[in-house]
Amino acid sequence: MSHLKMRVMDKSSEKITEDEAALYDRQIRLWGLDAQKRLRGARILVAGVCGMGAEVTKNLVLAGVKSVVLLDHRDLTQNDTFSNFLAPPDAIGQNVAMASEERAQVLNPMVDVVADPSNIEEKTEEFFKDFDVVFVSRCKREQLVKINNICRSNKILFLAGDVFGQVGYMFSDFMDHSYADEVKEKVEVPGQDQPVEETKIVRRVESFVPITQALEVDWTSPEYNKRLKRTSPSYFIMQVLMEFVSLYGRTPDPTKRDADIVELLTIKNALLDKLSIPPEKVKNDFAEFVFGQLSPVCAILGGVTAQEIIKAVSQKDAPLKNFFFFNTVEGVGIVESIGV
Amino acid sequence: MATHVTGILDENLRNSVKSAKILVVGAGGIGCELLKNLVLTGFEDIELIDLDTIDISNLNRQFLFQKVHVGRSKSEVARESALRFNPQANIVAYHDSITKPTYGVPFFKKFTLVMNALDNRAARNHVNRMCLAAGVPLVESGTAGYLGQVTVIKKGVTECYECQPKPAQKTFPGCTIRNTPSEPIHCIVWAKHLFNQLFGEVDPDEDVSPDAADPEQVGDAGQAALEAEANDEGNVNRVSTRGWATSHNYDAKKLFGKLFYDDIMYLLSMDKLWEKRRKPTPLQWDKLPDADGVVEGEELIQDQRPWTISQCYDVFAAAVGSLYKKLQGSGEDLVWDKDDKDSMDFVTACANIRAHIFGIPQKSRFDVKSMAGNIIPAIATTNAVIAGLIVLESIKILQGRLNDCKTVYLNRRPNFKNWLLVPCVLVKPNPKCYVCSEKPEICVRLNVEKTTVRTLEERILKASLNMVAPDVEIVNNRGTILISSEEGETEENNDKLLKDFDIIDGTQLNCDDFLQNYTLTLNIIHSEKLEEGVEFEVLGNPEELKKAQEEQAKKDAESAVANNEGASVSTVMENDDLVCLDDEEPKKRKVEEESPQPAKKMRAESPDIIMI
Repeated sequence: MSHLKMRVMDKSSEKITEDEAALYDRQIRLWGLDAQKRLRGARILVAGVCGMGAEVTKNLVLAGVKSVVLLDHRDLTQNDTFSNFLAPPDAIGQNVAMASEERAQVLNPMVDVVADPSNIEEKTEEFFKDFDVVFVSRCKREQLVKINNICRSNKILFLAGDVFGQVGYMFSDFMDHSYADEVKEKVEVPGQDQPVEETKIVRRVESFVPITQALEVDWTSPEYNKRLKRTSPSYFIMQVLMEFVSLYGRTPDPTKRDADIVELLTIKNALLDKLSIPPEKVKNDFAEFVFGQLSPVCAILGGVTAQEIIKAVSQKDAPLKNFFFFNTVEGVGIVESIGV
Repeated sequence: MATHVTGILDENLRNSVKSAKILVVGAGGIGCELLKNLVLTGFEDIELIDLDTIDISNLNRQFLFQKVHVGRSKSEVARESALRFNPQANIVAYHDSITKPTYGVPFFKKFTLVMNALDNRAARNHVNRMCLAAGVPLVESGTAGYLGQVTVIKKGVTECYECQPKPAQKTFPGCTIRNTPSEPIHCIVWAKHLFNQLFGEVDPDEDVSPDAADPEQVGDAGQAALEAEANDEGNVNRVSTRGWATSHNYDAKKLFGKLFYDDIMYLLSMDKLWEKRRKPTPLQWDKLPDADGVVEGEELIQDQRPWTISQCYDVFAAAVGSLYKKLQGSGEDLVWDKDDKDSMDFVTACANIRAHIFGIPQKSRFDVKSMAGNIIPAIATTNAVIAGLIVLESIKILQGRLNDCKTVYLNRRPNFKNWLLVPCVLVKPNPKCYVCSEKPEICVRLNVEKTTVRTLEERILKASLNMVAPDVEIVNNRGTILISSEEGETEENNDKLLKDFDIIDGTQLNCDDFLQNYTLTLNIIHSEKLEEGVEFEVLGNPEELKKAQEEQAKKDAESAVANNEGASVSTVMENDDLVCLDDEEPKKRKVEEESPQPAKKMRAESPDIIMI
């Protein structure tokens, strides 16, 4: 454990100040003082400062974590400004992490916000060790796998997520995650006719799997073949887009719309074929809706993702295991447990 | 600004988003998130209204505001901040109440869509009526803690906000509050009433002195002396609490003696009350108990640390002193405010002293504030998700896909289908709705010999039926005007009784609110058998009422259990946006695929639905 980590652990056990109590009043009333103490010790990496990254950042900075590092080597594009509200529209062409730092900091002066303009592909294991939570977005699949493994071996909570146009996903790997859960029980009380409902706190453990395992399930196996009908097409759309990003090093581009749609459909057919899944499982019109990042969809994915981080850090409430999907066509926010 | 670039949204939608004129009502938790989503998506013609100013406790979620903005208008600061996301947007900010006559039907008609981002039922009711009157679609929303909900309201197509009765506020029988508290909340309600009796607007329904007409006690022959003292209202004839305090110059020691010794001794004399209950222990200020059972909470924030009874006394004395000074200084009644230090100190101290007397667990100032101030916890993530959903529903409306619009719930945990965000089909309008049906009608039970015109106007039409400025005409040959919204026209009627206008059982009143463009026929049901302290009961549509009465008669016949709960009820909270915070796992959440009319059923079945 690094020296920095020790210091932070100490800080999280310190008393919440009256200033913090005033600022965080409405959430302390919801999740309690202990959760707030744990939050303020948490060091977060947001890699990929896109619309969803901005939403996750905003929610965590507001909640009062210890620190957030914004990591992204890309320059701000016009498209980014339609969803990343942390970067000023007049900073187009500048590094997106640097451009987003100031507004992220202003959200809550009690949180340390630092921008890092380097490329995540150049980061070594040492870099990740200084975080309690790593959230990765806008990233090639092989990078996700690599970072996930680094996080596993260093006991760091790992989340990945992205929004493509009107479709979004979140993945989480919290390893063996122990948390306190509230259970309501009817209890017989002497002297009272009716049982009284009591809230009990029970300790539970939930086991997660790395992203490779969640992406490489065998859909011909009896278990998953049976589940296929109920599985959200969003799971496969996500894989198509991961593949696209890995091939082209970018997300679908509105200015290359027609060509990218063709490419997306090619990838889809190849992927579903490889997985022995009928092509109609994913309707072809998905490719129309995956350009740019629609702000409201970023808000939904970023909200759910940040809440998962808050729950995980405060070790409170059952986590969503291990995917969350939302797309505007279905309008459903669905949790899928795949590979676990 | 997603509309600036082709390829993200389709061409038609881009144009309709860009040209849509949007009204956002509320610039708080949902409003801030919503405004961000709107300007980023490319909405460029937005008007935003909020009457509130920024408070420190907003900053954990209302991210368009910072510490330097505390005290400033929410709508104005939200506008400034959102413009930095999209400088091309045109945002008009109003620091004002949406219920003002300035914002009449013509104002609402300007908009393509109205989005509510409100936190209270009264404003939601009002905007609902304005949108119905103006024929503008409304996207309604609400959050509480981890839970949230978005729905779409369109006149004639969907349920309106008032189609289904909302659960009533939790109330407590008057004698529980005055005589026999058994839970911390009873003491807190009593302390808030006491505040009003001493410093605020005195409300006869909020009496804090012992109630000699307690049904448990009345009928005891041995208590004849007590009963002789009681007047026909049941209250013991004596000086009012305010009068008593004034005549003793609000001396804290004397007040303490009266409230926590004399009155408790009086309660003890009503011995029937204590046959099956723990007797209260009167307290004297100079003989306060030692700090027993109170643990020092080193780890806790100041407000969460419990107070000893002598600490309570010190806080009580200090708060009484400064509140009395304020009362004398302003010459006006004080209004209880959870964010005012003295008001909050006073209620915490009094509630805890009373709790101690009755052997009820004490509560920290932090917890008392939650209960007394009806604080609904709020977090950024829930508001962000809900604000995202508002825009997505709005986009469907702009595309003319009203049929695809849904009520969407954000759950705390995935439901049985693993859905965290659960869409449900919109419900058709209730043909008997007293707001959106063709000929709105409602029945009100009251005693025409006791109810004044003022009560009809203030308590029934405004506070309960949410009219803003009603005109009321008696449906008779003469068309008597009972209440006029023009100032001064019917003032002389205010203190007269309904019977003075020949209003009897079965009389119909034509109630019209010009601002809301809303006319309601009110059927008077005369009754002399209202429970003590209850001035009136709103009973719903005449046809529904008939059905309900038949069912009730059946039930009554089945179980003739005597109910001696009795007496007047006290309303816990002054805010009426009480939201179900019970986040128990939904039992059976029916969704669109399974049932043709699910949402309605859901409301009845699921305990964790937020009634927005």
